[in-house]
Amino acid sequence: MSNDSTTVNRIAEIIINELKLEDVTPATFDPDLDLVDEVGIDSMDLATIALRLRDEYGIRIDEDDYPKLTTVRIIAAYIDEKRQAGE
Amino acid sequence: MGENRYTFGDIIGDPVIGERFQKVRDYFFLRESTYDMTSRCNVRCEGCYYFTGEKQNTPDNTNPEDWRRLLTAEKERGITFVVLAGAEPSLVPELCAACYQVIPLGAIATNGLKPIPADIDYRIHISVWGNDATSLAVRKAPDMLARQIDNYRGDPRAVFVYTFSPVNIDQAREVTELLAKNGLQITFNMFSAPVGYTGPLRHTSKTLARTRRVMTELLAEFPETVLFSPYNILVHTEEKGLHDLFSCSYPRMNPSTAIGLGRSFRQYRTNLAWDRDAACCVPDTDCEDCRHYAAGSAVVTARMYRHADNPRSFAAWLDYVDTYLAVWVRGYEKGKNLCADPVIPVSDS
Repeated sequence: MSNDSTTVNRIAEIIINELKLEDVTPATFDPDLDLVDEVGIDSMDLATIALRLRDEYGIRIDEDDYPKLTTVRIIAAYIDEKRQAGE
Repeated sequence: MGENRYTFGDIIGDPVIGERFQKVRDYFFLRESTYDMTSRCNVRCEGCYYFTGEKQNTPDNTNPEDWRRLLTAEKERGITFVVLAGAEPSLVPELCAACYQVIPLGAIATNGLKPIPADIDYRIHISVWGNDATSLAVRKAPDMLARQIDNYRGDPRAVFVYTFSPVNIDQAREVTELLAKNGLQITFNMFSAPVGYTGPLRHTSKTLARTRRVMTELLAEFPETVLFSPYNILVHTEEKGLHDLFSCSYPRMNPSTAIGLGRSFRQYRTNLAWDRDAACCVPDTDCEDCRHYAAGSAVVTARMYRHADNPRSFAAWLDYVDTYLAVWVRGYEKGKNLCADPVIPVSDS
Protein backbone atom coordinates (compact mmCIF):
# COMPACT_ATOMS: atom_id res chain seq x y z
CA MET A 1 0.00 0.00 0.00
CA SER A 2 1.26 3.46 -0.83
CA ASN A 3 2.22 5.75 2.02
CA ASP A 4 2.82 8.67 -0.29
CA SER A 5 0.22 11.16 0.89
CA THR A 6 1.03 13.48 -2.01
CA THR A 7 0.00 10.82 -4.51
CA VAL A 8 -3.10 9.93 -2.49
CA ASN A 9 -4.12 13.58 -2.26
CA ARG A 10 -3.54 14.23 -5.94
CA ILE A 11 -5.58 11.20 -6.98
CA ALA A 12 -8.37 12.31 -4.67
CA GLU A 13 -8.22 15.78 -6.23
CA ILE A 14 -8.49 14.33 -9.74
CA ILE A 15 -11.47 12.22 -8.74
CA ILE A 16 -13.18 15.15 -7.04
CA ASN A 17 -12.65 17.33 -10.10
CA GLU A 18 -13.73 14.73 -12.64
CA LEU A 19 -16.85 13.70 -10.74
CA LYS A 20 -17.59 17.26 -9.60
CA LEU A 21 -17.99 16.01 -6.05
CA GLU A 22 -19.20 18.59 -3.57
CA ASP A 23 -18.59 18.96 0.16
CA VAL A 24 -15.32 17.06 0.02
CA THR A 25 -11.68 18.08 -0.40
CA PRO A 26 -8.56 16.02 -1.11
CA ALA A 27 -7.72 16.31 2.58
CA THR A 28 -11.10 14.99 3.71
CA PHE A 29 -11.54 12.34 1.03
CA ASP A 30 -11.27 8.92 2.68
CA PRO A 31 -8.65 7.04 0.61
CA ASP A 32 -10.16 3.73 1.65
CA LEU A 33 -13.68 4.49 0.39
CA ASP A 34 -14.82 1.94 -2.17
CA LEU A 35 -15.06 4.00 -5.32
CA VAL A 36 -17.79 1.87 -6.88
CA ASP A 37 -19.93 0.97 -3.89
CA GLU A 38 -19.50 4.12 -1.82
CA VAL A 39 -18.64 6.89 -4.28
CA GLY A 40 -20.75 5.59 -7.18
CA ILE A 41 -18.07 5.56 -9.88
CA ASP A 42 -18.97 3.67 -13.06
CA SER A 43 -16.68 2.28 -15.73
CA MET A 44 -16.80 5.40 -17.92
CA ASP A 45 -15.92 7.62 -14.97
CA LEU A 46 -13.04 5.31 -14.15
CA ALA A 47 -11.79 5.38 -17.75
CA THR A 48 -11.79 9.18 -17.66
CA ILE A 49 -9.95 9.21 -14.35
CA ALA A 50 -7.45 6.66 -15.71
CA LEU A 51 -6.69 9.02 -18.59
CA ARG A 52 -6.16 11.92 -16.22
CA LEU A 53 -3.81 9.75 -14.18
CA ARG A 54 -1.97 8.78 -17.36
CA ASP A 55 -1.42 12.47 -18.06
CA GLU A 56 -0.34 13.19 -14.49
CA TYR A 57 2.00 10.27 -13.87
CA GLY A 58 3.02 9.11 -17.33
CA ILE A 59 1.85 5.53 -16.76
CA ARG A 60 -0.59 3.38 -18.66
CA ILE A 61 -3.45 1.78 -16.79
CA ASP A 62 -4.41 -1.51 -18.38
CA GLU A 63 -8.14 -1.81 -19.07
CA ASP A 64 -8.06 -5.25 -17.51
CA ASP A 65 -6.85 -3.68 -14.26
CA TYR A 66 -9.88 -1.42 -13.77
CA PRO A 67 -11.74 -3.90 -11.56
CA LYS A 68 -8.80 -3.93 -9.13
CA LEU A 69 -8.69 -0.16 -8.68
CA THR A 70 -11.30 0.04 -5.98
CA THR A 71 -9.94 2.78 -3.67
CA VAL A 72 -7.72 5.84 -3.89
CA ARG A 73 -5.11 4.09 -1.76
CA ILE A 74 -5.06 1.06 -4.06
CA ILE A 75 -4.75 3.34 -7.11
CA ALA A 76 -1.83 5.14 -5.45
CA ALA A 77 -0.08 1.84 -4.81
CA TYR A 78 -0.75 0.76 -8.39
CA ILE A 79 0.77 3.99 -9.71
CA ASP A 80 3.80 3.67 -7.43
CA GLU A 81 4.35 0.13 -8.64
CA LYS A 82 4.10 1.13 -12.28
CA ARG A 83 6.48 4.06 -11.81
CA GLN A 84 9.01 1.96 -9.97
CA ALA A 85 8.85 -0.58 -12.77
CA GLY A 86 9.65 2.25 -15.17
CA GLU A 87 6.47 1.82 -17.20
CA MET B 1 3.64 5.46 -22.26
CA GLY B 2 6.78 7.25 -23.32
CA GLU B 3 5.89 7.04 -27.02
CA ASN B 4 2.58 8.86 -26.57
CA ARG B 5 2.70 12.18 -28.34
CA TYR B 6 -0.61 13.38 -26.92
CA THR B 7 -1.95 13.66 -23.43
CA PHE B 8 -5.67 13.28 -22.85
CA GLY B 9 -5.67 16.95 -21.93
CA ASP B 10 -4.13 17.78 -25.33
CA ILE B 11 -6.77 15.74 -27.14
CA ILE B 12 -9.83 17.20 -25.44
CA GLY B 13 -8.16 20.62 -25.51
CA ASP B 14 -9.08 20.71 -29.18
CA PRO B 15 -12.28 22.78 -29.13
CA VAL B 16 -14.24 20.54 -31.53
CA ILE B 17 -13.21 17.31 -29.83
CA GLY B 18 -13.62 18.80 -26.37
CA GLU B 19 -17.14 19.99 -27.12
CA ARG B 20 -18.14 16.59 -28.49
CA PHE B 21 -16.61 14.82 -25.51
CA GLN B 22 -18.64 16.96 -23.13
CA LYS B 23 -21.77 16.30 -25.19
CA VAL B 24 -21.44 12.51 -24.94
CA ARG B 25 -20.10 12.60 -21.41
CA ASP B 26 -23.40 13.99 -20.19
CA TYR B 27 -24.82 10.53 -20.98
CA PHE B 28 -22.25 8.46 -19.11
CA PHE B 29 -24.94 7.92 -16.47
CA LEU B 30 -26.77 5.46 -18.75
CA ARG B 31 -26.78 1.94 -17.30
CA GLU B 32 -28.74 -0.57 -19.32
CA SER B 33 -30.47 -3.85 -18.89
CA THR B 34 -32.62 -5.70 -21.41
CA TYR B 35 -35.94 -7.48 -21.11
CA ASP B 36 -37.69 -10.11 -23.20
CA MET B 37 -41.32 -9.02 -23.02
CA THR B 38 -43.25 -11.97 -24.44
CA SER B 39 -42.61 -15.30 -26.10
CA ARG B 40 -45.07 -14.37 -28.84
CA CYS B 41 -44.22 -12.90 -32.24
CA ASN B 42 -46.29 -12.21 -35.33
CA VAL B 43 -43.52 -13.22 -37.77
CA ARG B 44 -40.96 -16.01 -37.87
CA CYS B 45 -37.60 -14.83 -39.23
CA GLU B 46 -34.77 -17.09 -40.27
CA GLY B 47 -31.89 -16.69 -37.84
CA CYS B 48 -33.98 -14.91 -35.18
CA TYR B 49 -32.05 -14.76 -31.92
CA TYR B 50 -35.19 -15.14 -29.81
CA PHE B 51 -36.29 -18.45 -31.27
CA THR B 52 -32.87 -20.02 -30.69
CA GLY B 53 -31.97 -21.93 -27.55
CA GLU B 54 -34.08 -22.53 -24.49
CA LYS B 55 -35.39 -19.05 -23.74
CA GLN B 56 -38.26 -19.40 -26.23
CA ASN B 57 -39.77 -21.99 -23.87
CA THR B 58 -39.83 -19.61 -20.89
CA PRO B 59 -43.37 -18.96 -19.61
CA ASP B 60 -44.67 -15.39 -19.90
CA ASN B 61 -45.43 -13.15 -16.97
CA THR B 62 -48.26 -10.97 -18.26
CA ASN B 63 -49.02 -9.07 -15.07
CA PRO B 64 -48.18 -5.34 -15.45
CA GLU B 65 -47.89 -4.98 -11.67
CA ASP B 66 -45.14 -7.62 -11.58
CA TRP B 67 -43.31 -5.77 -14.35
CA ARG B 68 -43.72 -2.49 -12.51
CA ARG B 69 -42.25 -4.06 -9.38
CA LEU B 70 -39.32 -5.47 -11.36
CA LEU B 71 -38.56 -2.13 -13.00
CA THR B 72 -38.79 -0.35 -9.66
CA ALA B 73 -36.21 -2.78 -8.26
CA GLU B 74 -34.08 -2.23 -11.37
CA LYS B 75 -34.21 1.51 -10.87
CA GLU B 76 -33.17 1.08 -7.25
CA ARG B 77 -30.10 -0.88 -8.24
CA GLY B 78 -29.06 1.88 -10.65
CA ILE B 79 -30.50 0.92 -14.03
CA THR B 80 -31.32 4.07 -15.99
CA PHE B 81 -31.95 2.70 -19.49
CA VAL B 82 -34.06 -0.26 -20.59
CA VAL B 83 -34.12 -2.17 -23.85
CA LEU B 84 -37.40 -4.03 -24.42
CA ALA B 85 -36.85 -6.74 -26.99
CA GLY B 86 -37.94 -10.32 -27.75
CA ALA B 87 -39.96 -11.72 -29.03
CA GLU B 88 -42.26 -8.87 -30.14
CA PRO B 89 -42.89 -6.12 -27.55
CA SER B 90 -45.65 -4.45 -29.58
CA LEU B 91 -47.89 -7.41 -28.73
CA VAL B 92 -47.78 -6.47 -25.03
CA PRO B 93 -48.17 -2.67 -24.98
CA GLU B 94 -49.50 -2.73 -21.42
CA LEU B 95 -46.21 -4.24 -20.21
CA CYS B 96 -44.16 -1.73 -22.22
CA ALA B 97 -46.21 1.07 -20.67
CA ALA B 98 -45.56 -0.30 -17.17
CA CYS B 99 -41.82 -0.21 -17.87
CA TYR B 100 -41.96 3.30 -19.32
CA GLN B 101 -43.83 4.63 -16.31
CA VAL B 102 -40.96 3.54 -14.03
CA ILE B 103 -37.84 4.09 -16.18
CA PRO B 104 -38.49 6.72 -18.86
CA LEU B 105 -35.31 6.23 -20.89
CA GLY B 106 -35.14 3.26 -23.20
CA ALA B 107 -35.65 1.63 -26.56
CA ILE B 108 -37.96 -1.01 -27.99
CA ALA B 109 -36.90 -3.46 -30.67
CA THR B 110 -39.89 -4.26 -32.87
CA ASN B 111 -40.71 -5.58 -36.31
CA GLY B 112 -42.90 -2.50 -36.76
CA LEU B 113 -46.01 -4.33 -37.96
CA LYS B 114 -48.11 -3.22 -34.99
CA PRO B 115 -47.70 0.42 -33.88
CA ILE B 116 -46.53 1.03 -30.34
CA PRO B 117 -48.76 3.55 -28.53
CA ALA B 118 -47.49 7.12 -28.76
CA ASP B 119 -47.46 7.63 -25.00
CA ILE B 120 -44.61 5.11 -24.66
CA ASP B 121 -41.91 7.61 -25.51
CA TYR B 122 -38.96 5.25 -25.95
CA ARG B 123 -36.78 5.14 -29.05
CA ILE B 124 -38.30 2.54 -31.37
CA HIS B 125 -36.02 0.33 -33.44
CA ILE B 126 -37.83 -1.13 -36.43
CA SER B 127 -36.04 -4.10 -37.92
CA VAL B 128 -35.57 -4.31 -41.68
CA TRP B 129 -33.96 -7.31 -43.33
CA GLY B 130 -34.08 -6.22 -46.99
CA ASN B 131 -36.68 -5.18 -49.52
CA ASP B 132 -40.18 -6.61 -49.37
CA ALA B 133 -39.32 -9.58 -51.59
CA THR B 134 -36.49 -10.59 -49.27
CA SER B 135 -38.60 -9.97 -46.17
CA LEU B 136 -41.25 -12.25 -47.59
CA ALA B 137 -38.65 -14.96 -48.14
CA VAL B 138 -36.75 -14.59 -44.85
CA ARG B 139 -39.48 -13.31 -42.50
CA LYS B 140 -42.56 -14.83 -44.18
CA ALA B 141 -44.43 -11.53 -44.06
CA PRO B 142 -45.71 -9.59 -47.11
CA ASP B 143 -45.29 -5.84 -47.66
CA MET B 144 -43.26 -5.42 -44.49
CA LEU B 145 -41.47 -2.19 -45.33
CA ALA B 146 -44.60 -0.50 -46.65
CA ARG B 147 -46.47 -1.43 -43.47
CA GLN B 148 -43.60 -0.35 -41.23
CA ILE B 149 -43.38 3.04 -42.97
CA ASP B 150 -47.15 3.52 -42.74
CA ASN B 151 -47.00 2.83 -39.02
CA TYR B 152 -44.07 5.11 -38.22
CA ARG B 153 -44.07 7.91 -40.81
CA GLY B 154 -43.50 11.21 -38.99
CA ASP B 155 -42.84 9.49 -35.67
CA PRO B 156 -39.72 11.00 -34.03
CA ARG B 157 -39.30 7.85 -31.92
CA ALA B 158 -38.57 5.71 -34.97
CA VAL B 159 -35.25 4.56 -36.35
CA PHE B 160 -35.15 1.74 -38.87
CA VAL B 161 -32.43 -0.84 -38.27
CA TYR B 162 -31.23 -2.48 -41.47
CA THR B 163 -29.60 -5.82 -40.80
CA PHE B 164 -27.08 -6.59 -43.52
CA SER B 165 -26.84 -10.24 -44.47
CA PRO B 166 -25.24 -11.82 -47.53
CA VAL B 167 -28.62 -11.92 -49.31
CA ASN B 168 -29.65 -8.27 -48.96
CA ILE B 169 -26.54 -6.09 -49.30
CA ASP B 170 -27.58 -4.53 -52.58
CA GLN B 171 -31.13 -3.87 -51.37
CA ALA B 172 -29.95 -1.43 -48.72
CA ARG B 173 -29.92 1.36 -51.27
CA GLU B 174 -33.57 1.07 -52.26
CA VAL B 175 -34.60 0.80 -48.61
CA THR B 176 -32.53 3.87 -47.65
CA GLU B 177 -33.91 5.86 -50.58
CA LEU B 178 -37.45 4.97 -49.61
CA LEU B 179 -36.92 5.91 -45.97
CA ALA B 180 -35.25 9.18 -47.00
CA LYS B 181 -38.27 10.04 -49.16
CA ASN B 182 -40.49 9.45 -46.16
CA GLY B 183 -38.35 11.55 -43.81
CA LEU B 184 -37.34 8.55 -41.71
CA GLN B 185 -33.91 7.56 -40.38
CA ILE B 186 -31.94 4.35 -40.67
CA THR B 187 -28.99 2.78 -38.93
CA PHE B 188 -27.10 -0.37 -39.77
CA ASN B 189 -26.81 -3.75 -38.11
CA MET B 190 -24.94 -6.89 -39.13
CA PHE B 191 -26.45 -10.34 -39.15
CA SER B 192 -24.67 -12.17 -36.35
CA ALA B 193 -25.22 -15.90 -36.41
CA PRO B 194 -26.99 -17.61 -33.51
CA VAL B 195 -25.07 -20.48 -31.93
CA GLY B 196 -25.22 -23.46 -34.26
CA TYR B 197 -26.62 -21.52 -37.23
CA THR B 198 -25.39 -22.96 -40.54
CA GLY B 199 -27.69 -21.15 -43.00
CA PRO B 200 -26.91 -18.67 -45.77
CA LEU B 201 -27.13 -15.49 -43.71
CA ARG B 202 -23.73 -15.86 -42.00
CA HIS B 203 -21.24 -13.31 -43.36
CA THR B 204 -18.06 -14.20 -45.22
CA SER B 205 -14.96 -12.13 -46.00
CA LYS B 206 -16.45 -11.17 -49.33
CA THR B 207 -19.83 -10.13 -47.96
CA LEU B 208 -18.19 -8.11 -45.19
CA ALA B 209 -16.18 -6.19 -47.80
CA ARG B 210 -19.26 -5.63 -49.98
CA THR B 211 -21.24 -4.47 -46.98
CA ARG B 212 -18.48 -2.01 -46.10
CA ARG B 213 -18.60 -0.52 -49.59
CA VAL B 214 -22.38 -0.14 -49.59
CA MET B 215 -22.48 1.34 -46.08
CA THR B 216 -19.82 3.87 -47.06
CA GLU B 217 -21.73 4.92 -50.17
CA LEU B 218 -25.03 5.28 -48.32
CA LEU B 219 -23.51 7.26 -45.45
CA ALA B 220 -21.97 9.67 -47.97
CA GLU B 221 -25.11 10.01 -50.08
CA PHE B 222 -27.74 10.16 -47.31
CA PRO B 223 -26.08 11.95 -44.38
CA GLU B 224 -29.41 13.19 -43.00
CA THR B 225 -31.02 9.76 -43.18
CA VAL B 226 -28.22 7.39 -42.14
CA LEU B 227 -27.23 7.39 -38.47
CA PHE B 228 -23.75 5.90 -38.71
CA SER B 229 -20.09 6.90 -38.94
CA PRO B 230 -16.96 5.73 -40.79
CA TYR B 231 -15.78 4.15 -37.55
CA ASN B 232 -19.05 2.25 -37.12
CA ILE B 233 -18.56 0.91 -40.64
CA LEU B 234 -14.98 -0.15 -39.96
CA VAL B 235 -15.71 -1.84 -36.65
CA HIS B 236 -18.79 -3.73 -37.80
CA THR B 237 -17.39 -5.04 -41.07
CA GLU B 238 -14.06 -6.29 -39.73
CA GLU B 239 -13.17 -9.94 -40.19
CA LYS B 240 -12.80 -10.16 -36.43
CA GLY B 241 -15.98 -9.96 -34.41
CA LEU B 242 -16.58 -7.45 -31.64
CA HIS B 243 -15.39 -9.76 -28.90
CA ASP B 244 -12.07 -10.40 -30.62
CA LEU B 245 -11.60 -6.70 -31.27
CA PHE B 246 -12.68 -5.23 -27.95
CA SER B 247 -13.12 -8.05 -25.43
CA CYS B 248 -16.86 -8.07 -24.80
CA SER B 249 -17.87 -6.59 -21.47
CA TYR B 250 -21.29 -8.26 -21.16
CA PRO B 251 -21.56 -10.79 -18.32
CA ARG B 252 -21.74 -13.80 -20.64
CA MET B 253 -18.13 -13.16 -21.71
CA ASN B 254 -16.91 -11.14 -18.74
CA PRO B 255 -16.47 -12.89 -15.39
CA SER B 256 -15.77 -9.69 -13.44
CA THR B 257 -18.61 -8.29 -11.34
CA ALA B 258 -16.54 -5.35 -10.10
CA ILE B 259 -17.66 -2.52 -12.37
CA GLY B 260 -19.48 -1.67 -15.60
CA LEU B 261 -21.67 -4.09 -17.53
CA GLY B 262 -20.21 -7.09 -15.73
CA ARG B 263 -21.60 -5.64 -12.53
CA SER B 264 -24.92 -4.10 -13.53
CA PHE B 265 -26.19 -5.65 -16.76
CA ARG B 266 -28.97 -8.23 -16.68
CA GLN B 267 -30.99 -9.81 -19.46
CA TYR B 268 -34.40 -10.77 -18.15
CA ARG B 269 -36.51 -13.48 -19.67
CA THR B 270 -40.28 -13.30 -20.07
CA ASN B 271 -40.75 -14.84 -16.62
CA LEU B 272 -38.70 -11.99 -15.04
CA ALA B 273 -35.76 -14.28 -14.22
CA TRP B 274 -32.20 -13.82 -15.46
CA ASP B 275 -29.10 -15.97 -15.78
CA ARG B 276 -25.68 -14.34 -15.51
CA ASP B 277 -24.01 -17.03 -17.61
CA ALA B 278 -26.28 -16.22 -20.55
CA ALA B 279 -26.62 -12.46 -20.10
CA CYS B 280 -25.76 -10.31 -23.08
CA CYS B 281 -27.66 -7.98 -25.36
CA VAL B 282 -28.36 -10.65 -27.97
CA PRO B 283 -28.38 -13.99 -26.11
CA ASP B 284 -27.55 -17.14 -28.04
CA THR B 285 -25.51 -15.24 -30.62
CA ASP B 286 -22.27 -16.99 -31.56
CA CYS B 287 -19.80 -14.62 -29.85
CA GLU B 288 -17.15 -15.20 -32.52
CA ASP B 289 -19.57 -13.96 -35.19
CA CYS B 290 -21.06 -11.10 -33.17
CA ARG B 291 -21.07 -7.77 -35.01
CA HIS B 292 -24.44 -6.77 -33.62
CA TYR B 293 -25.22 -3.06 -33.38
CA ALA B 294 -26.51 -3.37 -29.85
CA ALA B 295 -23.36 -5.16 -28.72
CA GLY B 296 -21.12 -2.57 -30.32
CA SER B 297 -23.01 0.25 -28.64
CA ALA B 298 -21.80 -1.00 -25.29
CA VAL B 299 -18.59 -2.84 -26.13
CA VAL B 300 -16.92 -0.14 -28.25
CA THR B 301 -18.18 2.66 -26.04
CA ALA B 302 -16.66 1.02 -22.97
CA ARG B 303 -13.17 1.10 -24.56
CA MET B 304 -12.60 4.84 -24.32
CA TYR B 305 -9.12 4.50 -22.82
CA ARG B 306 -7.55 2.66 -25.73
CA HIS B 307 -8.94 5.23 -28.19
CA ALA B 308 -7.36 8.15 -26.34
CA ASP B 309 -3.82 7.95 -27.72
CA ASN B 310 -4.27 10.52 -30.46
CA PRO B 311 -6.94 12.93 -31.75
CA ARG B 312 -7.88 10.82 -34.78
CA SER B 313 -8.58 7.71 -32.77
CA PHE B 314 -10.46 9.62 -30.10
CA ALA B 315 -12.53 11.50 -32.69
CA ALA B 316 -13.47 8.16 -34.25
CA TRP B 317 -14.55 6.86 -30.84
CA LEU B 318 -16.59 10.02 -30.28
CA ASP B 319 -18.32 9.47 -33.64
CA TYR B 320 -19.20 5.97 -32.53
CA VAL B 321 -20.59 7.10 -29.18
CA ASP B 322 -22.44 10.03 -30.76
CA THR B 323 -24.03 7.56 -33.19
CA TYR B 324 -24.93 5.15 -30.40
CA LEU B 325 -26.64 7.89 -28.41
CA ALA B 326 -28.53 9.20 -31.45
CA VAL B 327 -29.77 5.70 -32.24
CA TRP B 328 -30.77 4.77 -28.69
CA VAL B 329 -31.76 7.91 -26.79
CA ARG B 330 -34.92 9.92 -27.58
CA GLY B 331 -34.12 13.55 -28.27
CA TYR B 332 -30.36 13.14 -28.70
CA GLU B 333 -29.26 14.76 -31.96
CA LYS B 334 -26.30 13.30 -33.81
CA GLY B 335 -23.51 15.69 -34.71
CA LYS B 336 -21.41 15.75 -37.85
CA ASN B 337 -18.90 12.91 -37.94
CA LEU B 338 -15.43 14.10 -36.94
CA CYS B 339 -13.18 11.37 -38.33
CA ALA B 340 -13.25 10.26 -41.97
CA ASP B 341 -10.33 7.83 -41.90
CA PRO B 342 -10.43 5.84 -38.64
CA VAL B 343 -8.27 2.93 -37.56
CA ILE B 344 -9.03 0.41 -34.82
CA PRO B 345 -6.56 0.75 -31.96
CA VAL B 346 -5.16 -2.40 -30.44
CA SER B 347 -5.27 -3.05 -26.72
CA ASP B 348 -1.99 -3.13 -24.86
CA SER B 349 -3.58 -4.92 -21.91
